[in-house]
Amino acid sequence: MDTVAWLGGVARRPRTVLAAVAVATVIALLLCVNPVTREVRFQVDPSAEALLPAHDPGRAVLDRVRRTFGIDDPLVIAVRFEPSVYSADHVARIARIADGFRQLPGVTDVHSLANAPNVKAGDDEIDVTSFADQAARDPAVVAQFAADIQANPLYRGTLVSADGSMAAFALTLDALTPKDYLRLGFDARARAVVADVGDASDVYLTGTLPVRAATREALDRTLKRTVPAVFAAIAVLLLATFRSVVAAGSALLSVAIALVWTVASAVLLDIQFNLVSAIVPPLVITIGLSYTVHLLAAHFLSRTVLPNARNSQRAEWVMRRISTGLTLSATTTVIGFLSLLLNPLPAVRGFALLASLGTLYVGALTHLFLPALLNALRCTRETPPIATRLFGRFAAALAEFDLRYRRAIIAAAALLIVIGFTAATRIRGGADFIASFDASARVRQDFEAVAQAFNGANFVTVLIDARVPDALTDPRLIEAIDSFQDWLRAQPEVGAAVSYVDQLKLTNLALNNNEPLHFGIPNDDAAVKQILLFAASDTLNRLIDPQYRSALISVRINVDGSQAIGDFLDRAEARAARLPPSLEARFTGSSVLATRAVEALAAGHLASIAIAVIAIACLLSLMFTSVKAGLVATVPNLVPIAVYFGTLGVLGLPLNPTTSLIACIVLGIAVNDTVHFLARFNSDAREQGKEAGAVRSALNSVLRPITLATACLCLGFLMFTASELNNQVQFGLLGAWTLFVAWIADMTLTPALGSRLRIVTLWDLLRLDLGKSPQHTIPLLSGLSMRQARLFALMSRLERHPAGARIIQEGDLSRDIYVVIDGGVEATVERHEERLVLSTMTRGAVIGETGYFGQRRTASVDSTTPVRLLRFNSQDLERLRERYPAIAATVFRNLNRIQAERIARMTALLK
Amino acid sequence: MKATSWLGALLLLAMAGATQADDATQKLLDCMRANIPPSLQIKEVELNSTDRSGAERQLKGKVYAARADGLIRVLLRVSRPRDLDGAAYLMREGGAGRSDEIFLYLPAIQRVRKISGASSDGALLGTDFSYNDMKQLQAAFGDTRPALEKPTTLGDRPVEVLSLLPPAGSPSRYSRVLAYVDRQSCTALKAEFFEGKTLRKELSASADSLKRADGYWYLSELLMRDLKENTRTRLKVTGVSGSADELPSRLFDPTSFYRGN
Repeated sequence: MDTVAWLGGVARRPRTVLAAVAVATVIALLLCVNPVTREVRFQVDPSAEALLPAHDPGRAVLDRVRRTFGIDDPLVIAVRFEPSVYSADHVARIARIADGFRQLPGVTDVHSLANAPNVKAGDDEIDVTSFADQAARDPAVVAQFAADIQANPLYRGTLVSADGSMAAFALTLDALTPKDYLRLGFDARARAVVADVGDASDVYLTGTLPVRAATREALDRTLKRTVPAVFAAIAVLLLATFRSVVAAGSALLSVAIALVWTVASAVLLDIQFNLVSAIVPPLVITIGLSYTVHLLAAHFLSRTVLPNARNSQRAEWVMRRISTGLTLSATTTVIGFLSLLLNPLPAVRGFALLASLGTLYVGALTHLFLPALLNALRCTRETPPIATRLFGRFAAALAEFDLRYRRAIIAAAALLIVIGFTAATRIRGGADFIASFDASARVRQDFEAVAQAFNGANFVTVLIDARVPDALTDPRLIEAIDSFQDWLRAQPEVGAAVSYVDQLKLTNLALNNNEPLHFGIPNDDAAVKQILLFAASDTLNRLIDPQYRSALISVRINVDGSQAIGDFLDRAEARAARLPPSLEARFTGSSVLATRAVEALAAGHLASIAIAVIAIACLLSLMFTSVKAGLVATVPNLVPIAVYFGTLGVLGLPLNPTTSLIACIVLGIAVNDTVHFLARFNSDAREQGKEAGAVRSALNSVLRPITLATACLCLGFLMFTASELNNQVQFGLLGAWTLFVAWIADMTLTPALGSRLRIVTLWDLLRLDLGKSPQHTIPLLSGLSMRQARLFALMSRLERHPAGARIIQEGDLSRDIYVVIDGGVEATVERHEERLVLSTMTRGAVIGETGYFGQRRTASVDSTTPVRLLRFNSQDLERLRERYPAIAATVFRNLNRIQAERIARMTALLK
Repeated sequence: MKATSWLGALLLLAMAGATQADDATQKLLDCMRANIPPSLQIKEVELNSTDRSGAERQLKGKVYAARADGLIRVLLRVSRPRDLDGAAYLMREGGAGRSDEIFLYLPAIQRVRKISGASSDGALLGTDFSYNDMKQLQAAFGDTRPALEKPTTLGDRPVEVLSLLPPAGSPSRYSRVLAYVDRQSCTALKAEFFEGKTLRKELSASADSLKRADGYWYLSELLMRDLKENTRTRLKVTGVSGSADELPSRLFDPTSFYRGN
């Protein structure tokens, strides 16, 4: 398809474009929000599990645990009683509070002192009444409770804190989602239950559900804050820059539409917004608004360049002017995102897909919709853009600096890359879980209070699988599990470890009149089975399945964050490998899955970055039709990546689900600046014939929009610092920092590297018109393919002259050679004030070759009609020899042939 | 009696204490009570429990029940699985002012243990029947708050709906029990156990399982489903005989209930 013609067609139909976008946006809005219920259709899933693939082994183990044992991480509510839990009044209050909790929506079970049986045995009688019932029956027995709990491995450090000041309630909730939890106001209701009973000084709620609910709230607030904040901040920047409300409003509207389309795509593709993909909306806004900066600059320029043109003509001019840079920018950004598709985590792949679609949407809308909208709204205000002079002076100084210190800049960049990647070797993968929240966040304070009082608030579940029914009644295997459990309890990270073995021992003790000798494992499996059947209860069913072939060890750990949990899991898995071969131990639970997710992210990110770099280098090589040019364009973008990783290494920041995305995102975005500079530089260099001058003019042209676009991007990223989640704050700060470094690299290293480079873009190649079959009709291009002929032409300079223009002046010293592409010229000499026409030349003629070999011009050449000439000199040919030796060899051969023919003709004339 | 019509029998037996029912309710309770024989023997009771993962466990045994002075005595002797062969439970209703007594004999321990305060959620030998359920049933039926609700049908059979509410402040685990009593046999074909507003357990029987022995109606097959735990236990009985004759007292004696047949 002829892109130029297509763009022209689009530009001539602005109303069609606006109407099509409006219809698409209405459809997208209907996809995002149910118009009847006014409920949003997109999903937010704050769980770490959502990051893992559906077929992940750890997730499968957790599903099996839930299916077999019907449990999930409990919601723990700890209530402080002063001075101690151990009074009959307080125990009675605990029972009333437990009753109150049981009435809360979604609660299916409450485990506490109120219903935990305090088994007493003696005189052939076993009393299995609960602590609360015992206290109600005889308040004096409460004094014994502390000792009873301490002696019971099932209750020690679980029902009451070690210092006796806090009572714990473990609530089992039935399929309550974080959304339900928030909608029901569960937290407030639970606190109200305690307040109603009275005499409890503090209440702390923690567990997977409250943390997920808090994460969801934080994500919601982050989205609600960052999206408007990014809009507002960039709106101010656009207003200040372009001094046009209509322009700024149009840009914001374009990006808002792209955002709606992106969210609608998430609904259609069933992509949930999780800890990773929640970044997409502000990211799309940020990228989109940076694109609009370039477009608005072009729009206002069009009004200067084409003051009397029609709107459609201006729109077409704007589209054509920005099409190369914008297409390349969007493509490289999308490549950066799509490289994340290699990541094993579906959440990251979902992010990559959604961010890519968002970028394509903003790219397309900026390209097609925004010019039409600006013209439809008659955005004609033409106040001079601010700081033009300032940027102009800065660009000039920067160009001088870049050219003067070219080698030093390249050396410094190389050094930075080496230092950055060296420091990066110190990076560890890891993410904070509860520490993601600010220290003042209630969810964190509650978690930490419970963790401190009960020696841990995170749970790890160990699934012990013997595969054969009744196998877990084998005393030999029970001994092995008991020993493993003892090892777990001895670990510094472990606050408590509970299994069916504890229940078995306690029941055996009770059945044997509390004789200490019998606090152990019976020595035959029939006895084990009888005791377990006698002890059968919902509690035991959560520790061993009714077939006695699989069991759980519930481990409470006092560490948080993927590194600490990962270290513990590594040791525990090594110890579990020493269990008898008939037993298999697998670790699961929300903390474990979150840790595994973080590890998987760290494992996948290097491959993603490598793929992104290679893909972008390939794309740039293709677009600049040269591997060397592609590499030169890629290198400046390695600097911010190296600096980013170096920053992580130096500051000791871990790679977490969000920070591991930054490199690919920044790479995809930062390469835009490189492309914009090189595209401008290429055009100017061809026009001026001098690279040094082109560096100055290109910097003068792009410094302002690139700086503004970078400012937009940095502002957008910095808006994440308002988030309540530390990982999002880190993401914002590091993203802005890395983009800033990318800007410095593009304003220094790219010109330094590019100042000796003449590039040819694929776009140039496709657009260049050399007439019909130039390789057959222009002798200098004989033997070249069409592509080679165009490459040669683009390495030279294509000039247009009106009729009667003097192209060569006799007697001048000049080394340029000209080839007539179309039109006519004549060579003349002036002798005795008489003008003698030596020859007239048309398409394919080569003129001025004597100058090329160091002689003064022997004749003047003037155009007789409007003429297009290809002009090149020895430097161009040398560049051609370096970059495209095959083309250079053919051109030199043709030049020799032309010279030889000319000498032969001259010789024939002399004869 | 904690076997077959364990539910049926308990439902009926416990209802004897209902005193504040209206005429229609009282008439239904009387009809149900007429199904209670002075003594009951079940040759084989089979409890098939299915856990969440679909795995099954079977338990077999014999049940003996008797009424003495209006108080229930129930003995369950386990014969299968072999590991449990010889295990026995004896439950003796305490009556007014006295708590129930449960005695346990486990062959591995070789001693009788009296279990007190066993009104826990503990599943009876790993089944979906628990002491607590039984006690709640008793508490509900034994109290004075039965009421008839709008009649309905189960399948093609017309049933009376008996609502049973525990008294305020009662430690009952269930807030309400709904019994669907067959008009023809005065036997409960279905019972629903509510925790708050949530249906926690459901006991059901097909009308086809209604049998009559020695003039007394009973259900030969019952299904108890725990809707929260997603487990179920199917209970089957064979060889039920009701009799006006007394069973040997040693069967209900804590010192000898576990011995012989």
